[in-house]
Amino acid sequence: MYGAKGSSHATGLFLTLCAAMLLLAMLSQQSWAAGPRGAAKSALAPLEETMTSAANGVTRVASILGDVSSLRAENARLQAADEQLRRQVVELDAAAKENAQLRQALSFQKSSGHKVVAADVIGTGPDALSRTMEIDRGTADGIRAGMVVVTGAGLLGRVREAGPHAANVQTLADPQSRVNVYLSRNGLQGTISGGPAALQLDLQHTIGVVASSGDWVLTSGIGGTYPRGLVVGEIATVTHRDTATSDQAQVAWVNDPTSVGFILVITDFVPS
Amino acid sequence: MKRVAALGVMVALALVQVTWAPRISIAGAFPNLVLATVVAITWMSGVRAGMAWACIGGVLLDLSAPGAVGPHALALLTAAYVTSLWARNFESAHALHAALTAAAGTAAYSLTLVLTDGLLGQPGIDAGIFIRLAVAAAVYNALLTPFALEAMRRLRALVREGPEPA
Repeated sequence: MYGAKGSSHATGLFLTLCAAMLLLAMLSQQSWAAGPRGAAKSALAPLEETMTSAANGVTRVASILGDVSSLRAENARLQAADEQLRRQVVELDAAAKENAQLRQALSFQKSSGHKVVAADVIGTGPDALSRTMEIDRGTADGIRAGMVVVTGAGLLGRVREAGPHAANVQTLADPQSRVNVYLSRNGLQGTISGGPAALQLDLQHTIGVVASSGDWVLTSGIGGTYPRGLVVGEIATVTHRDTATSDQAQVAWVNDPTSVGFILVITDFVPS
Repeated sequence: MKRVAALGVMVALALVQVTWAPRISIAGAFPNLVLATVVAITWMSGVRAGMAWACIGGVLLDLSAPGAVGPHALALLTAAYVTSLWARNFESAHALHAALTAAAGTAAYSLTLVLTDGLLGQPGIDAGIFIRLAVAAAVYNALLTPFALEAMRRLRALVREGPEPA
């Protein structure tokens, strides 16, 4: 398609653009650039919010269609039911789920005693190597980088970066995420990292103590990044080898990041 | 005017990628619409256009990701360049070649992202997890890119058939 001269020109252009982008990355990472960078990211947030609302609408329509087809197969009487009533049922179901999430959140706030700021999820990370979420609250709402993010069910992640009106949350599913945890049943300590499907848990070996499926995993507070006692999930599978220095386990996370639409940022815990 | 419209399309693709795409995740990976488009542009319009749109699309993705602005642009640049190394040997784009370059481009993209993160002082990723995610993403993008190529062909034909400016 291209000649040898064109090819060397393309290589030159490629190297120049790579150098420019690397320079941009290094400069934009500096602390003095945090303000403009946060403002630029916040500028995109309203568009993401609109797109997410549209996506939720499409999901709702799809669930109505799915609901209709299953009802047809199951019950002849429901086939004749009014379409509007069915839509209302689905909408009420969605509202009930949202209410349950809100009740769970309220319950978390009451039981934990932490001060929290509620936020909606408006976007996600651009690829599987960055399992992050964008939320519609930022420094103007008291959100700061490092703050811990939870849902009513348990730990979700932490704020990685905050702009004036939006912030980025690194979820536990992010491959770069690390959380120190312990098992509630036997106190075994370990570290959880993100993975493609379940969370990966690396457990320290302790003679005579073995983890098993169904054990609950909670934050240990070691390292000071997360407060102690936040629920992370339940052990699904454990791989134990006598010769290894640690056990590997997969943890069923209490949160499903694809369905989380509403989160809480703990504002009164300062990570060390 | 055409460039403004093309920019609008790229913004829309980036937004769809960070809002809708994760809902159709398989094996931890989800479609990278911007990468598929950059690969298709490189096949259709050459390496210069591919790299220009890689920078634009990459910066848009960087704005929706935490951390520095630039790593995704750099990763997409390598994907465009890898595609061009293959495309230079062919007169026209074939779906199979586009799919293979998308897979190779995704591998280059993933590796560049991880290396750039390392260079910028971000924590590393477990090698096993990285390989699983990169392979899943490569397969996903390889399946997606022929459709992106076809969409681009049709869009180009539509623009060429449109009324000439007075």
